[in-house]
Amino acid sequence: MANVSVAAEWQLLGDRYYRKPELYQPMRWKHIDLNRNKVACAPFGGPIALIRDDSKIVQLYAESALRKLRIFNSAGLLLSDAVWKNPGGRLIGLSWTDDQTLVCIVQDGTVYRYTVHAEPLEPNLSILGREHFDENVVECVFWGNGVVCVTETCKVFSISDFKNPMPVRLADPVAAAAETEELPHCVAVIEPQYTMSGNVEVLLAIGDAVVMVEEDEVQPLPLPPGDGPLQKMVVSGNGRFVASFTHDGRMAVFSTRFERIFEYQCESALPPEQLAWCGLDSVLLYWDDMLLMVGPSDEPVRYLYDEPIVLIPECDGVRILCNTSMEFLQLVPSSTVSIFKIGSTSPAALLYDALDHFDRRSAKADENLRLIRSSLPEAVEACVDAAGHEFDVSRQRTLLRAASYGQAFCSNFQRDRIQEMCRTLRVLNAVCSPEIGIPLSIQQYKLLTPSVLIGRLINAHQHLLALRIAEYLGMNQEVVIMHWACSKITASSAIPDATLLEILLDKLKLCKGISYAAVAAHADKNGRRRLAAMLVEHEPRSSKQVPLLLSIGEEDTALTKATESGDTDLVYLVLFHIWQKRQPLEFFGTIQARPLARDLFITYARCHKHEFLKDFFLSTGQLQEVAFLLWKESWELGKNPMASKGSPLHGPRIKLIEKAQSLFSETKEHSFESKAAEEHAKLLRMQHELEVTTKQAIFVDSSISDTIRTCIVLGNHRAAVKVKTEFKVSEKRWYWLKIFALATIRDWDALEKFSKEKRPPIGYRPFVEACIEADEKGEALKYIPKVADPRERAESYARIGMAKEAADAASQAKDGELLGRLKLTFAQNAAASSIFDTLRDRLSFQGVS
Amino acid sequence: MAQIPNLDNAPLNFTSLREQSQKELINILKNNRGKKCLIIDPKLGGSLSLIIQTSLLKEHGVELRHLSAEPIQTDCTKVVYLLRSQLDLMKFICSNVHNDISKGLQREYYVYFVPRRAVACEKVLEEENIHHLITIGEYPLYVVPLEEDVLSFELDLAYKESQVDGDTTSLWHIAKSIHKLEFSFGVVPNVRAKGKASVRVADILNRMQVEEPVNSSDMVVPEINTLILLDREVDMVTPMCSQLTYEGLLDEFLRINNGSVELDSSIMGVQQEGKKIKVPLNSSDKLFKEIRDLNFEVVVQILRQKATSMKQDYTEMTTTTQTVSELKDFVRKLNSLPEMTRHINLAQHLSTCTSKPTFLGQLDMEHTIVEGQSYDICFEYIEEMIHKQEPLVNVLRLLILFSITNSGLPKKHFDHLRRELLHSYGFEHMATLNNLEKAGLFKKQDSKSNWLTIKRALQLVVDDTDTANPNDIAYVFSGYAPLSIRLIQHAVRSGWRPIEEILKLLPGPHSETKRGRFSSSQSFDTLQGASANTDKVTDGRRSIVLVVFIGGVTFAEIAALRFLSAQEGMAYDLIVGTTKIVSGHTLAETFIEKLG
Repeated sequence: MANVSVAAEWQLLGDRYYRKPELYQPMRWKHIDLNRNKVACAPFGGPIALIRDDSKIVQLYAESALRKLRIFNSAGLLLSDAVWKNPGGRLIGLSWTDDQTLVCIVQDGTVYRYTVHAEPLEPNLSILGREHFDENVVECVFWGNGVVCVTETCKVFSISDFKNPMPVRLADPVAAAAETEELPHCVAVIEPQYTMSGNVEVLLAIGDAVVMVEEDEVQPLPLPPGDGPLQKMVVSGNGRFVASFTHDGRMAVFSTRFERIFEYQCESALPPEQLAWCGLDSVLLYWDDMLLMVGPSDEPVRYLYDEPIVLIPECDGVRILCNTSMEFLQLVPSSTVSIFKIGSTSPAALLYDALDHFDRRSAKADENLRLIRSSLPEAVEACVDAAGHEFDVSRQRTLLRAASYGQAFCSNFQRDRIQEMCRTLRVLNAVCSPEIGIPLSIQQYKLLTPSVLIGRLINAHQHLLALRIAEYLGMNQEVVIMHWACSKITASSAIPDATLLEILLDKLKLCKGISYAAVAAHADKNGRRRLAAMLVEHEPRSSKQVPLLLSIGEEDTALTKATESGDTDLVYLVLFHIWQKRQPLEFFGTIQARPLARDLFITYARCHKHEFLKDFFLSTGQLQEVAFLLWKESWELGKNPMASKGSPLHGPRIKLIEKAQSLFSETKEHSFESKAAEEHAKLLRMQHELEVTTKQAIFVDSSISDTIRTCIVLGNHRAAVKVKTEFKVSEKRWYWLKIFALATIRDWDALEKFSKEKRPPIGYRPFVEACIEADEKGEALKYIPKVADPRERAESYARIGMAKEAADAASQAKDGELLGRLKLTFAQNAAASSIFDTLRDRLSFQGVS
Repeated sequence: MAQIPNLDNAPLNFTSLREQSQKELINILKNNRGKKCLIIDPKLGGSLSLIIQTSLLKEHGVELRHLSAEPIQTDCTKVVYLLRSQLDLMKFICSNVHNDISKGLQREYYVYFVPRRAVACEKVLEEENIHHLITIGEYPLYVVPLEEDVLSFELDLAYKESQVDGDTTSLWHIAKSIHKLEFSFGVVPNVRAKGKASVRVADILNRMQVEEPVNSSDMVVPEINTLILLDREVDMVTPMCSQLTYEGLLDEFLRINNGSVELDSSIMGVQQEGKKIKVPLNSSDKLFKEIRDLNFEVVVQILRQKATSMKQDYTEMTTTTQTVSELKDFVRKLNSLPEMTRHINLAQHLSTCTSKPTFLGQLDMEHTIVEGQSYDICFEYIEEMIHKQEPLVNVLRLLILFSITNSGLPKKHFDHLRRELLHSYGFEHMATLNNLEKAGLFKKQDSKSNWLTIKRALQLVVDDTDTANPNDIAYVFSGYAPLSIRLIQHAVRSGWRPIEEILKLLPGPHSETKRGRFSSSQSFDTLQGASANTDKVTDGRRSIVLVVFIGGVTFAEIAALRFLSAQEGMAYDLIVGTTKIVSGHTLAETFIEKLG
């Protein structure tokens, strides 16, 4: 029976079953001998890097003496290769970082980095730094994104994050004075994510002891006596345990503070070649042709291999790479055990069995189902779960069919569970296929997350699959398409711009909101400026488009786009860019043709670049604007007493105004301004004179009307008349000014005299108004009768409260409407004020004010 | 009563907008730990007073200062500037920082630009060589709710900047604000715009929708059905007329700033020599809500009635025996007493102002100009005002009104009035005149005026306006129906199409667009039908029309819109968005620029 054969492949370690399904058999590669090579395998089914081990003496067959770095996927398919001729001595260690960069460290501490495409990533770093260039690295231990190196003088260096590589020298494990030539037996690291300090902790087995090295201190650890010296150490995946091999052939598991938890006496005292954790439950030791799996129970499991292997620890097991195959050694998941264990009568096993009967049209199927009715949901769940843990497609299918068969009979099972599992398995099977070569268990997949998986696929240039997966899982496809577009540009140097643009646009339009500007920026970086310009044309977001246009030197287009966007900030951005880059005259020419840019420039320059603005107006022939600027400056001079020194009559202010005047007079349209400037200069001269003669500094910068009034108020009528004639002040205005000036100084006699000089051109109403405003009703009465218009007379009477006279005048005017209005005003005024007064009284009771 | 308005009954969820702004501000303060000196530009400070209480700022270890060129007086080592990204404000930061440097003071400077960083402002800081000392951030305050139905973009210089300087930053800001609203309330399907700036804003808004789409599928029905954009330039007549609603008059005489007036305590009947007090004016005040939009004449009557009835109650109270429930009623009425007193005091002050002959004369002249029949009388009146050196702003208001209704003045008159103006008020006002000319507000006549046609076609002058029981928006100006609101009335009712001929007579282009899901496929007519159906449904709420005034709106116009909104048969709630609440006064003031 099928069930039996499944369980027959399992090995029992203590009370747990382990299995070792083959992931790839055979490997796609040919003639690879792991023994001859240094090997780095990335976890999560990542790529495998091989390079001939130069510390071993090997026989060269029909191959070049030059060493080659070769990168394969997990199925042994060659991804890329590169000749290795890096200086710096022997290759000490190589490993993959989390983002799948291959890191190789050579003897002199130089770190070479490669992509999965075997392209070197510049610049190379040195882990030793400049001060220790003469040291030699003898050992290095990698973790996720970092590495620790030990030199032959037992100094410890570390790079804790290759994304931001900063070599740090850790504290010296041996006191400088001791100078033992002894090197550590073995090294292990506790990753920063598991330490209290958040920095890496390095465990070194030196002599009989173990010390822990940090950045600024060294701590001896309490290794139980008799266990040291340790030959090999490895830290568990959760950073809490250390598996080690002692000098006397024991495999011992300690806590990271070296309390012994477990030990096992091996047959050999020779330290194993490889020591690895398999999940958290067991430890693997590998000698020449034997792999020993030691668990908490006494009896280990032995596997024999007649070819070299490499152990690749994963979060839930260990992948075993051989020359010809790849296997995955894992604890059999409990759901799988419950179904396939020999003699299992668990509901899940019965359900699985029921499907078998059903397929064979046996009535026993129904019997089985009835047996497990109450626990059907668990059974279905177990089948779904077990399907997830299978690598074999046909077994996945059978398990899922069993689940769906069971689901039909249970009402309260979450229906999308099966769908979801199918979806996940499809993704896993797709990436597991040898062409892609990323074998992932469901647990690894969940830990890795789909988005990282997609990231790895696009990194490996598997864009189509990545896109399909993203689409299938309902994730954002932008990352994929963007990466594809950029890779496409890099790879298509031979394709002409227009053709390539077509190809790119065809795909880019799949994704709404994708940044064309980013793709264009990439094209520009690849030296394809024309393509960049064509691409950026398609970018809808001006805020991204404009800066890029500037960086590819398309200033004029940038200015057009910025202007179209309506975003003045972008226009300013372009403006300042061009301003800096071009000669002033060229700059002026550019902006003069663009109204918005020009206006913004003027606004900015008005605030902060006065002189430059003048140049602009001059060069573009806007003389009147220059004149305005000069005129404005003249006032600023006026405010600054230091600048207006010298003869006030020919002071710099007046000169500026005269210059402005002459500029205005250049164009016919500005004759009014020109005249005004001329008058202003004249006024300033007169005001200076007046200040000199009156010895009062009250004239400068007042208006012509004010000057006249001031003269009259001061009693200087001659000066007032002089100003009047000089500026051709109209009689009307003159009368208003004089009347109010006289009223201000309450010179009622002079006012009366003035009224009699001749018939006032503005009538007598202004006299009345001036008196009323000064609250001189008596004076007002002198003029009211003289007011010609009876209506105005009526209103004047009304204003001083003479209702009867007002009414008389109104009736004289035969204006009923006016009369009514007057009545209303009187009534309302009286009423309004009294009403409000009484209201206030009424409301101010009970302490409310 | 608080100056921060109550927004609970707003047709759109304005409270969340305000809370968001509060939160963002508090986060800025929280992110800069410890004691700090917060320097706010005064105008922004006014806007913030509608969003957050000063006490709340102080809870976050803030010493509050106003932006000025004076050295910063504080012991704090952290100085946080919060200011609008205006070029002319940069000099203050520069002078502050240079001052500290010269004194050897080492401080940490943070500058938060409102609503966003500006390249030009940072350029100034760079040129002054202090950019590297400053950490720069943003405070994205785009919109401030003033009332349940009024939003302000707080761009008081928008009109002048775009009309005179050609700086259209404000238009982007407005589009961005509306786009941000769309993220909360859905893509507005119908956009109608009139005026150059409005059409541009509609255009930028569409661009933004392409660049950063609001996902319309998330929202079933967009809450705002129609957006109407209107340039102030289209109707500069209305703001130049004196507003005659209660709130409008308060603004004309006392200047309402950010929902409150500051006035002499004597006006409010408090006898404290020369002390100013601040009176908040918003709909949280029930009485104010009732009377703010009424013609002032009517307000006086209502206040009188209310006071009289209260007096009656009071006398009944003292004379006869009362049941407990009657007593309760009376006490409830008493609660409204402080409000009554407040508005009676304000109304009394207004009525002394409105009965002044200068005001009556001005009012009379406004009507004469709007009537557009007696050119010479108007010309002489304005000339006389200049001769009498009446306040420049008053002169400019009439001058603008006069120039617009005549589409400019004949060159002889134009030059004459300009000369008289310079003579009376000083040559420094050459710049003011230049500004007005650039904005087309006071200019040489270049074509025949079509004001009379517009006036007639849109029935702007309505005889027999009953201010007490109005049946037309003309009540807000006692006989003149504001042009802007007439246009909106048409736009809401039937779109631009029926009045296209008139629109062509007014400045600027107009546009009408469909957006979002409605943009294609459906024809105009089916959409009309469909939207008419959706208008009525959805839990009895009416759909919303957002009316945006680019360049400002007056209280009187808002009153007229509220009047429209309250009319029977109106299918929409009208919400107002504006660059700022303006009056003829504040508008004219922005153009006054002295050369000196």
